Amino acid sequence: MNAPRQPALKAMLVAAALLSGCAPKTAKIDPSAPPADVLVVLVPDTETGTVGRVVVSNQAGRTELASPYASARVTGTRSPRARALREGDVKRIFGDALAALPPPPLHFTLFFRFDSEELTSESRALVQDVLTSVKSLPVPDVLIIGHTDTRGTEMSNFELGMRRANAVRAILIDAGLSPSVIDVRSHGELELLVPTKDEVFEPKNRRVEITVR
Amino acid sequence: MTRRGWIVAIAIALAATPAIAQTQPTPAGRIKLASGQVFVVRGGTSAPAEAGQVLLESDTLRTGPDGRIGVMLRDDTRLSLGPGSEVRLDSFLYTPAEGRLGLVLSFVRGVAIYVSGKIAKLAPDSIRLETPGAIVGVRGTTVAVRVDPR
Repeated sequence: MNAPRQPALKAMLVAAALLSGCAPKTAKIDPSAPPADVLVVLVPDTETGTVGRVVVSNQAGRTELASPYASARVTGTRSPRARALREGDVKRIFGDALAALPPPPLHFTLFFRFDSEELTSESRALVQDVLTSVKSLPVPDVLIIGHTDTRGTEMSNFELGMRRANAVRAILIDAGLSPSVIDVRSHGELELLVPTKDEVFEPKNRRVEITVR
Repeated sequence: MTRRGWIVAIAIALAATPAIAQTQPTPAGRIKLASGQVFVVRGGTSAPAEAGQVLLESDTLRTGPDGRIGVMLRDDTRLSLGPGSEVRLDSFLYTPAEGRLGLVLSFVRGVAIYVSGKIAKLAPDSIRLETPGAIVGVRGTTVAVRVDPR
């Protein structure tokens, strides 16, 4: 990576973001909207069982939810009222929507030999896992992003990352995947898995990251 | 290309982006599951929807009495609707390299589940779930919302 160039590029990116005006709107309830009975429930993550945090607010007040199946009810314009629900109640009310939720995306990382688009033998063995996960989905999307270590120029590594991503794409298409579901990109040496200085050999950075969703 | 040439090329690409964005909306996500009667309302026109269909910012998802719909957005946000439900994708911005991130969903009626994605990790304050009676702010989580219009 070439350090002096980075700030200039970042400044340009920030300027582009500012110019396009992406500031969020302020939170406000439309007073002309018809009144409704609203229930908001914090649900544990289906994979990890953990919960995040939710804040439910309107002009009359606010309440914070932070435990599994904690809920807030808002009737008309009254302030949110917190109440703990049971798992069974939540499954009954939201069962249909929960059943329609797509499974979470799966991530795979395949590694490459130095300055090459040839997979390491360990990673070649992982290709079957990728195919199995793709074929289990009715409407799959596959995103392939090529990465490199910091040996070589930024430009040549961008191209190497693209060759790696395309090599994986070719393997998946050979195995019967439709080209239309695959999206290929390169991030070159800009997103290191193991942070290093410029011009450093690092096998863990020579990789392709695949998202199957 | 020289290094200078490369930077100029990036600058030109960036400068051109807003014009492209205005004429050709970027896909926000795809319908992954659809069963029963499901519709996408776009520009005031409601049309039957099916699995695989691309969704755009400002689209509204609507299900009939037997409909269900499951959606994956481009940042890995997941959204699903049960029967008799309606959710509008008010705003979707996902260009991490430019720091352009944001998601606003309007829950109009029925039951729906929201599972946070990458936007929630990168810019949690840019996410807003709106309902007719309250605003819901989220920190990396799964939220179920029911709206009964009266």
